This record gives sequence, C-alpha cells and structure tokens, in this order.
Amino acid sequence: MKAREALSKVFVQKSARAGLMLVLVAAFTLEATSIVQFVFSQRTIKEEATTKAESQLDATKLKILDIVDQAETAVRNSAWLAQWALEVPDSLYAVSRRILETNPIIVGSTVALVPGYDSKRPLYSPYCFRAHGSDKIDVSSLATEEYDYPSQEWFTKPLELGVGYWSEPYVDVGGGNILMTTYSLPILDRNGRKAAVLTADISLDWLTDMVGGIKVYPQAFSMMISREGRIMVCPTESLVMKYTVNEAASSLGDSALFSDLNRSMLSGERGNQTFKYKKTKMHVFFAPVEKTGWSMSIMIPDSEIFGNVRKMGLIVKILQLLGILMLIIILRAVIMNQIKYNELNDRKKVMENELQIARSIQMAMIPKIFPPFPDRKDLDMTATIVPAKEVGGDLYDFYIRDEKLFFCIGDVSGKGIPASLVMAVTRSMFRTLSTHEDDPARIVSLMNDSMADVNENNMFVTFFLGVLDLTTGQMRYCNAGHNAPVMLTDTKWLLPVVSNLPIGVLKGFEFEGQETVMNDDDAIFLYTDGLSEAENSQHELFGEKRIYDVLGTRRSSADHMEAIKEAVSEFVGDAPQSDDLTMLFIHYFRRRHLTLENDIKEIARLAEFLDQIGNDRSLDQGLVSSLNLALEEAATNVIMYAYPKETAGALDIDAVLGKDFLEFTLTDGGVPFDPTAAPEADITLGVEERGIGGLGIFLVRNIMDSVVYTRKDGKNILKMTKKI
Amino acid sequence: MEVTVTKSEGITTVVLEGRLDTPASPEVSAKLEPVVQDASGTIILDCGKLTYISSSGLRIFLSVRKAAAAAGGNVIVKSICPDIRNVFMMTGFLNLFQIED
Repeated sequence: MKAREALSKVFVQKSARAGLMLVLVAAFTLEATSIVQFVFSQRTIKEEATTKAESQLDATKLKILDIVDQAETAVRNSAWLAQWALEVPDSLYAVSRRILETNPIIVGSTVALVPGYDSKRPLYSPYCFRAHGSDKIDVSSLATEEYDYPSQEWFTKPLELGVGYWSEPYVDVGGGNILMTTYSLPILDRNGRKAAVLTADISLDWLTDMVGGIKVYPQAFSMMISREGRIMVCPTESLVMKYTVNEAASSLGDSALFSDLNRSMLSGERGNQTFKYKKTKMHVFFAPVEKTGWSMSIMIPDSEIFGNVRKMGLIVKILQLLGILMLIIILRAVIMNQIKYNELNDRKKVMENELQIARSIQMAMIPKIFPPFPDRKDLDMTATIVPAKEVGGDLYDFYIRDEKLFFCIGDVSGKGIPASLVMAVTRSMFRTLSTHEDDPARIVSLMNDSMADVNENNMFVTFFLGVLDLTTGQMRYCNAGHNAPVMLTDTKWLLPVVSNLPIGVLKGFEFEGQETVMNDDDAIFLYTDGLSEAENSQHELFGEKRIYDVLGTRRSSADHMEAIKEAVSEFVGDAPQSDDLTMLFIHYFRRRHLTLENDIKEIARLAEFLDQIGNDRSLDQGLVSSLNLALEEAATNVIMYAYPKETAGALDIDAVLGKDFLEFTLTDGGVPFDPTAAPEADITLGVEERGIGGLGIFLVRNIMDSVVYTRKDGKNILKMTKKI
Repeated sequence: MEVTVTKSEGITTVVLEGRLDTPASPEVSAKLEPVVQDASGTIILDCGKLTYISSSGLRIFLSVRKAAAAAGGNVIVKSICPDIRNVFMMTGFLNLFQIED
C-alpha cells in the first residue's frame, strides 16, 4: 500500500511538473508572439499616425501658402504701379484700392511713404480697407500721431531687409478683433531710393478654422505659432495671440515643458516629438510654413494613437490568460483522470491478487492430491474442478470415516465470489454435519435448514451426497436437485434420483434418501452441468451422450478424468468456458474379508474365500491356487507363531481386488511376529541337507510381488500384493 | 483328503486325493508313518488326484524322500498337476524327486 501511494505521489509530481512545463512553454510562446505582434503593430500604427499627421500638415501648409502666395503676388504685381504712382502721391491710394478689388482675400492695403521722401507730405499713408462684413472699400489714413506708422514693424522691417516681409500676426482691434497679418514690400523709386512700403493685410480667420479643423484623431488638436512663438491657433481661444508657447507652459506650471518643441518649431524644423503633461503622453508632429516663419503642429495623445493596439493587446492578453487557464484546467483534469485510472488499475491488481488468494484458499478446501488415499487399494478416485472465473461455485469433497466414504458434489447458483462464499459454507457444513451423522438425507436436510435460514440472496446449491460403506459396498445417497451420476458397472446407467429440491430453497423440506449397492469394480462418475452444458462456438452442448462415449472405455480414474477433459477441450475449442466444470470419479473395489480363528483347521476356509475371488474376477485357476498357497503359508505362520499355544485369537484377512492387482492384508492381535525376518529355505540343497523349515515364507515371497510386515496398534499387519 | 496306501511286489503306492493343506497334514503324516518306517523299496506317490499342496505337505514329501534316501529306497512322484509342478519347481523339489507322468 505504502509503495503504491509513494508511486502515485511520484506520478502526480512528475505529471504536475510536466504540466507546469507545458503551461510555461505555452505562456512563453503566446507572450512572445503577442509581444512581437504588439511591437510591429505599434510601429505600423506610429508610422500610420505620422503619415496621417504629416500629410495633414503638408496639405494645410499648401493651403496657407496658396493664400500667402496670392497676397504676395498681388503685392508684387502692384509694385511697379506703386513706383509709378510715387510721381503722383495722391493716386497712391488707387494702387491699394486696386489690390483690394482684384484680390478678395486681401482686406486692407496701403502705400506708406518713407518719411521725408516727399517734402510736402512728411507722413503719408492712405489706407484702403474692406469694411468688416461687407465688400465696400473704405479709405482712411494711417498717418496719425497716435499710430506713428514709421515705427511699425510692417514698415521698418522690409525697408531694413530690402525684401518682402510678413509681419507677426496681430489682432486688428479697429477692424473687429480679427487676427491679421500683413505682407509689406519696400518700393524703390526710379532712382533706387527707398520710397515707400506697399502692404496687403490678410485676415487669418480662416486659419483658425483650417488649422483648428485638422482632425487626425478625435482627441487630437492643432496649434500654430508665429515666428516669435506667439500662439496663433490653439483650441484654448483665451491663449490666442496673448501668450507665447513658453508663457503658456509657465502658466501650466512647467516652463520647460515645451522648450525643446519650441526651439525646434521656431528654428523651422520639421519632425515629431513627445512630451508628457500630467501623465498624458502627447505626440507632436510639426512642420514650418515657409515665408511666414510660422510653425504648425498637430498634438495627438498617445492613448489616441495606440489606444486600439493597447486595447487589442489587453484583449489578447485576457484571451491568453483564459487559454492558459483552460490549459491548466484540462491538464489538471487529464492528470487527475490518469491518477484515477492508475488508482483503479492498482485497485484492480489488488482485486485480482485477492481473487488469486481466494482461489487458492478455495482450492485448499477441497482434496486435490490424487490418489487421495494411497494406502487404500479399494478406492481409485480422481476429481477435478475448473472454475470459469478465478473462483467458482462448484464443489466436491470426500473423506473416509468409519470405513465409509463420504463424498459430495455441488453446484452453487451463480458464479464468481458470491457463489464461492456459498460453496465454502456448503463444504464446511458438509464436513461438520457428516461428522456424527451417516444418513445422507439427514445430512442434506440439516444443511438445507442451515442454509435456508440465512439465505437472503436466494442462492441455492444443487448437491449430491453419497455415503459408501467400503466394507459392504452399500451406498446411501441423497440428491438435492443435482444431475444424476453415471454408474459404471457391467453397463452404464444413470443412478436413479428422486426429485428433491436444491439446498437452500425451502427450510424444513424433508429430503428423501436412496440406496444402492456398489459391487466390486463398480464406478460412479459425478459431474456438474459445466460438463454436460459445456458449449462450443456453435452453441452446441457437450451433452450426456458424449459423456457416455468417453466413459465407454475402462481405465483408471485419472485416465478417465484426462480423457473427459481432453474431449471437452476438443469439443469447446476456442469458446470461453461459461460455467465451472467439476467432476468426481470413484472406482470402487469391494474389500473381501475373512476372519479365521486361531485354529489350524480354519486354514481350509481360505480355499473357498479365494475361489470366490477367482470366480468374481475370472482369475486363472493356477493363480488362485498359488494365492491360496501364499495365504495359507502366511496364515499358518500367524496361527503357529503369533498365538502361543492355547491362546485364543483371530486372524483378519482383507482382500482388495484392484483393476490390475490383488492385495491381501493379514491382521492379528498376537505377539509381535515378523515372518519376513525368518530365514528362508535353501532350495539348492540336496535331500539330506534340506531342512523342513523356511519353506512357507519362501513360497509367500515367490508367489507375491510384495510382502510388507508392519506392527501397528498392537497388531501384526502383513500386506501382500500380487499384480495380475 | 484321502490317502490310500497299497503295497504289492515291493512297491508301495500312495494315492493322494484332494487338498494337502496344513490342516490335512497331520493326518496324512500319520497315515504315511509306516511308509516312512519302511522306505527301502520303491515308493510311488500318486498325485493324479492331488489338487493342492502347501509347505506342510511338501515337508511330508521331503520326510518320505529323506527316509527312502536313508534306507536305500526310491521315491517316484507321479502325475502331478501343473499347479503342484509349479510349486515343486519353485521350491526346488523337482530336483529332489523322480517325477513321472
């Protein structure tokens, strides 16, 4: 048991280890796969986001540049006109007006004279503009004290740089709070002197819509900053034009937040960066808008870009976990199953082992050594039992008490262990109840009462019980529902049996006994239906006729048994044995008995005794005569020497006529006398030398094949055997 | 067991009839006592009707034979049946007696 448990434990440990390895390998493989997949999809998505953002940036930039170019072109195309109009300063406003008329995107324009260029007009800047919300063009002058246009950036920068210049965006307070920017171009007169600055204002209202409308992702937003870092477009309107990027960062509490980004954007770089604000990671894609010095950016929250990938990753991970969990459950189930199977297997082995033990116990209950009574020449018995399963419900048993052979054969209903238990009970009841009772019917009745009393499972036993008086050959028997035995005398016949019930069916049933006589050399063959009903593969039964046929030949009990076994096995072939098969063969040789008084005259009676034997067995007269001689010599010895003169005593002579031998046993209660120890006559001597003694034992030895003397229980026993 | 002893022309004829077993021996022995006493002539033991002989009978035969040998007589065993011949052979008596059919 211990070893089995340990073995099972080892198995569990090994299985668990193997299972764990499997789970780990599966988990590793799944994890590696998903990591690779995750990395690749993340990269792809990043690329996709970059492409998306950049293309949006590019598209928007082109749109902006288109407008900017329109404004620049309008101004450039009017430069010559402005130059020409310098000659007639009063017509300068017409140049601006023309620009407005031909370019709907331009909302205001002026030609501002360099102070001192025209001596008559130290400051002169007629300003044409589209009134807010209408197409009407008004004219006003920028040459006011308060405005002081010569100090304005749009005026100074182009003159200073000598090229066209886009101003920083600004909010036109007078014009309805709109975001504007101005392109200014220095105008030289025919002599190459810096004479004036021609401008065109464009509204940047559309810019807010255009840039703010870029929606790469729902949570993404766009920004635009000016050359100086001022916020031009931003989702938070309150910041627009009021703060620079750095100022905005300071107001958010982290002045360094956008420093890198700011630097890159202000230096006109194109690219992308990331920053983290309040644990939110943002990706910024930025690109410059040439000419204006502006920089556009699209900010996309990291979660927006990778949200789906991460969601997918999470789902994959959950699925993996579920898969591994299922794998563990299945593995566990498989291991538990295997353990259960192993346990069952072990249990089965134990059961089989126990069945084997039960079988040997059962077999130990019945006599199995043959010949069972090697000293007895009056019985030649062989029995066999072949259970269909490990243990069976068939039984036979026999023993000798008071010169009576008690024998039985039985068949318990059913097979296997239940039947074997009933068989054991039946057998022990047979032994117990026959200890003091000679009447088979009485024994069977007692057995029946005991069995029926406790027979809750309705098991019953067909049973045949015989009691053979070995001295007389009288056989009393009782058949309790068993099949009738076959008698082998001069012919073969079924022993008549009355229809008693099987044992265990009905308590109180009176079993009827019967009687017959077994003569010398008669035999009885008992069997269970496992023989008569042995089936071959065609479902034919062995039947009684075949039994009769096999029994037809006269032979020893052992040979009979072998012959029947062989015939059955040949008949049945490969078909499985369906029932227990039990057989008992008893060959009886009646014991002849003669008692002689301690008187020499009694010797004469030997002749008659031997003549009878000779007649019964049709023995040769010469043999009978020499047997007579041997017996006479032996008996004479007893009378002469074992019993001193005048003592009374008896000499018992038993004769058994076996199949191929005769055995005589001389028993007397006289003084110890061993005739075999007496000196033998020397038959080679001549007449003169020949003594008169020793001839008797010499004759006995010569006639018999074996002469054995024993002294037992105060008796002289001389056993003489002659083969015939 | 019948024993008949006749004597004529110096030949003693003993006819043994029946079974010469142990119980019969004393009587036979007694009847043959005269023959043993005077064993100088020819003694014929006619066994034609003797059916059985045991060692006690053989002893009687031997005593007759010994007496004859001592007295210069002659013993002829006549017409023994096969069973008795068998016993004679077993015991070596065939060599001691003159057997005639």
